[in-house]
Amino acid sequence: MNQLKAIAKQHKGTRLFLVFSSILYALTVILQAYFLVTIVDAVFLQSASFTEIVPYLMGLLCALVARSALSYVNGRAGVKMATKVKQQFRQSLLKKYTRNPLQTSLQGQSGHKVSVFMDAIDEIDSYFSKYVPQVIQTSIVPLFIWIAVSMEHVSTGIIMIITAPFIPLFYIIIGIMTQKKSEEQMDKMALFSGRFLDTLQGLTTLKLFGKSKQQKDVIRQSSLDFRDATMEVLKVAFVSSLMLELISMLSIGIIALEVGIRLVVFESISFYTAFFVLVLAPEFYLSLKDLGTAFHTGRGSMGAATKIQEELEQEEHNVQWGEASVDNAFDSPPHISLDGVGFQYGEEGFALKSICTTIEPYEHVAIVGRSGAGKSTLLYLIAGLLPKTEGEIMVNHQPLSHYKEADWFERISYITQHPYIFAGTIRENIALGSNIAASTEQVERAAHKAGIADLIQSLEQGYDTPIGEGGRGLSGGEKQRIAIARAFLKQPSIVLFDEPTTGLDLYTEQILQQSINELSKNATVISVAHRLHTIRNADKILFLANGELANQGTDAQLMKASTDYANMVSVQQEGVER
Amino acid sequence: MKALSLVLKEMALEKRDIILSVIFGFLAGVTAVALFASSGYLISKAALVPPFYTLTILIAVVKILGFARAFGRYLERYFSHRATFAILSNLRVSFFEKLEPIAPTIFQKYRSGDLLARVVGDIDRLQHFFLRVFYPPVLLVFIFLATILFTTMFSIYIALTLLVGLLLTGFVVPVWFAYQQRKVDYKLREERGALSTETTEFLYGFRDLKINQKLERKRDALEQSSQTYVNEQQRQGNVEMFNQSLNLMVTLLISWFVVAIGALLVIDGELQGVYLAMIIMISLTVFENAPPMAVVPIYLQDSSVAASRLTTVVKEEQLPSVERTTQTLPNEALSIRIEDVSFTFPNEKRPSIDHMHMHIPEGAKVAIVGPSGSGKSTLLQLLLKFHQQDKGTIYINNYATDDIAATDIWSKAKVVLQENHFFYGTIRDNLLIAKEEATDAELKRALERVFLQHLALDQQVLEKGENLSGGEKQRLAIARAMIKQGRLWLLDEPTSSVDLLTERTIYNYIFQQAQEDTVILISHRLVGLEKMDHIIVMDQGEIVESGTFRELMDQQGYFYEMKQIEQSVLV
Repeated sequence: MNQLKAIAKQHKGTRLFLVFSSILYALTVILQAYFLVTIVDAVFLQSASFTEIVPYLMGLLCALVARSALSYVNGRAGVKMATKVKQQFRQSLLKKYTRNPLQTSLQGQSGHKVSVFMDAIDEIDSYFSKYVPQVIQTSIVPLFIWIAVSMEHVSTGIIMIITAPFIPLFYIIIGIMTQKKSEEQMDKMALFSGRFLDTLQGLTTLKLFGKSKQQKDVIRQSSLDFRDATMEVLKVAFVSSLMLELISMLSIGIIALEVGIRLVVFESISFYTAFFVLVLAPEFYLSLKDLGTAFHTGRGSMGAATKIQEELEQEEHNVQWGEASVDNAFDSPPHISLDGVGFQYGEEGFALKSICTTIEPYEHVAIVGRSGAGKSTLLYLIAGLLPKTEGEIMVNHQPLSHYKEADWFERISYITQHPYIFAGTIRENIALGSNIAASTEQVERAAHKAGIADLIQSLEQGYDTPIGEGGRGLSGGEKQRIAIARAFLKQPSIVLFDEPTTGLDLYTEQILQQSINELSKNATVISVAHRLHTIRNADKILFLANGELANQGTDAQLMKASTDYANMVSVQQEGVER
Repeated sequence: MKALSLVLKEMALEKRDIILSVIFGFLAGVTAVALFASSGYLISKAALVPPFYTLTILIAVVKILGFARAFGRYLERYFSHRATFAILSNLRVSFFEKLEPIAPTIFQKYRSGDLLARVVGDIDRLQHFFLRVFYPPVLLVFIFLATILFTTMFSIYIALTLLVGLLLTGFVVPVWFAYQQRKVDYKLREERGALSTETTEFLYGFRDLKINQKLERKRDALEQSSQTYVNEQQRQGNVEMFNQSLNLMVTLLISWFVVAIGALLVIDGELQGVYLAMIIMISLTVFENAPPMAVVPIYLQDSSVAASRLTTVVKEEQLPSVERTTQTLPNEALSIRIEDVSFTFPNEKRPSIDHMHMHIPEGAKVAIVGPSGSGKSTLLQLLLKFHQQDKGTIYINNYATDDIAATDIWSKAKVVLQENHFFYGTIRDNLLIAKEEATDAELKRALERVFLQHLALDQQVLEKGENLSGGEKQRLAIARAMIKQGRLWLLDEPTSSVDLLTERTIYNYIFQQAQEDTVILISHRLVGLEKMDHIIVMDQGEIVESGTFRELMDQQGYFYEMKQIEQSVLV
């Protein structure tokens, strides 16, 4: 609530505008009553002629039109404020995501982020478009009505001021009584929809086991049970609105009684006064009730705001970059050294500790270790995708942070196990690898080298065939080959390669091998290696265990030096062959 | 709009609650009008200094009406919400009845899991139909008619003015708005879809965008579509505000006309002055029931979209033809013959199964291997009649599958799919699906076989078995299949998340139990296939090799290569 309030406060202009137009709105409500009562009084008791009341009729008409116009203007202001706030929120989230999302995608939270970015932000709309204007309006209108009524007839003003607090009071009392219960019920409701979804999703299983027909009665019964449970909660809520209704009805009744008695018994007030009070009294209580409803509207946005806030407050670690141009430093693969490089996920999370090694130009480096040993983390650190938390990565004897970000990424390719394919044509997806506009021949040459040219040509639209979001319609191997084509187009000095574990077709396997060999002619290749021959052919193996560099060297050296390494390689072999 | 008959039918079942809520809603609405009318009359009467008792009576009436209104509202809410929930329940049951017969096929067609989430969302949305679409106009008409009838006793002109007001606020303005809304809605949905795609790509494709330095560009594009989207939302919000204010203005203008006509009539002596205040109060109050009409079109639109989406889901996917179930499978080991079968998924260009031939004699143990996407699982789904092949014939025990009921195949097969569903309930509930009369001892034995003895039969299972690990789910699915009757084992990568040693032991149990049965095992691991009678190697929907393990290894072909790679992979 507080964050949203703070943001609403920032929009001072809009708030001032809303206050101003709400005051005008309150005045139109009072004027409406004034003209109405004057007309009736004139016609009913003063026996006025029609021409005499024409000015009042015109006045009434103006008041009515102005009232509608002001309600529109008020609403528009709210909508405009909501639009601005939503865009601001999206921009700051986007900024946040741009700076720090790799950890996110590593932690598999991308789905959650999408939902915050889309849904949570849309949910705060009603706070700004409805709640804020309504709160302003409903706090001003009753006040003005009260002043007008008090000026006309003090005792009604007194009745109002005595009875009015009961409405918010009841809202608070009832709110305390029902809120928790009703929220619990809302959760149950969501859960219950979830259960129905569960049954539908399991329909295949149910059918295979011949049990689907029985589910119908289960669904009916549980729906009805749920209905009865919900009605119990709702009854409390309905009683509460019953009470509110009774309070305002009784209050209006008391006001009517008071003016009636004064009018008849004491003859101390005029018909004009009595009628004026009677017309305005319902408007007064209605406004107060609206205030309660407005709070209800506002509450829905709170949860969403909290979610967004959590995202924005997440700690961020940025990779540092400098201004030095890479061109001056290296055209061919650079000399890389890791001086005690480490990284820690969160306070107590997984840590990669003080890695020290050097990587010479054109070397093949294989990062090896059991799952969870920190292989991918190390690759991310070298790539400049994760910020190191200790040590230094030196590139041609300068810290990596010394270079321009754009220049560095221009020099590297990263071939992942699950490359992402964007919605667009095949050509666009391959051209992603190049920063300058790639020519048709360049794209086609890259595709040819990646062994996917034949497939593309067999498609009706060739390179202009659209592929879906996430590469729908392509097999895992084909996606992999598109990623390789991207690398060929880019011609990097450093290739980072996360070797696939399983599931590829033989052809893609061969292409991968050939391509890495081809790319390595002009580049240093650093792989997270899963294949024995990749490991055996590596110039250097970095053997990781529990986040530490347990050993490094060639396969032959490590077989002698490290029993863990020897075990891992040979045990795996046995496991497969047995 | 026609699709909404679906909802109306389910609503009809809750006639009693609906009628009660209309009655009490009417009561609440009319008493409110009566309340203000009588207070207007009271004041006017009081101005004429009447005998005191008239005043007393009127005040008593005002009080009673006040209470009647409050209680009427309460009962109206109670019954209308009860009806809403009952309708929801009816909708779920009826949709389930429609979905059930076409179940596995339709899930295969929409391969994404969000089809069902959408369906559930749409059904939830339809529960608003009664309260937000159907109910307000009915109530409005009743209350207005009563009020108009009452005013005819005083002036036909005023009654007619009110009638015009009813038509304008209740129908003309909302319908006009609905027309506008439709255009805006369509645009808005498009923009939202675009933004959602951009966001997904930005977050999921982040690494590739970053490395290839397309991140900034993508972010700008994303910001741009966000701006377009919120602008569109703003437009929609403004249209909505305009409509609400317009409706307010119409009601106020009608009241103005009532005032003007009333004044004129009093001046001309056609109406007693004492009634003027009352009539004005009536016109101010009766429109209290109009605001819900403003949102009727929005919900109507929403409901009809939801309803027609639901109808298309169940309609499109009628079974290819009514099954001519002339044959019944015997309860023994089955043979399978596949003759020139081809199958292409709808909306895909390349065939998943391409002119395939295969013969599996009864009692054979066959493994199908190949890279992911080679069509292994599709073949299994064709066998289970989840899809209808485009070409060719599949024979089970020499009966074409066209002549066998799908349910018959299912009841004779023990199936473990890649994704097995577990329901909210206990482990026991989930196992008993396979065999209702199974004893606890039998269930426990099955759990032991798959090394799940640590799971108690009473242990809670959450939706989709989300509190079980991948390996546990797979083993539980095998246990379930073991308990089930049937002599045809169809196993689709049943142990991909299970470690090698456990896998070995489980396979041993299966082969022991299945000695006489036909077994088709899809496997992406090539370990432990030496025992299979036959291995079929698939790639791109075709069989590239087949033979025994020894034969394939000696051939040094595709299988041999795959085996070489597998042996060299460190996991």
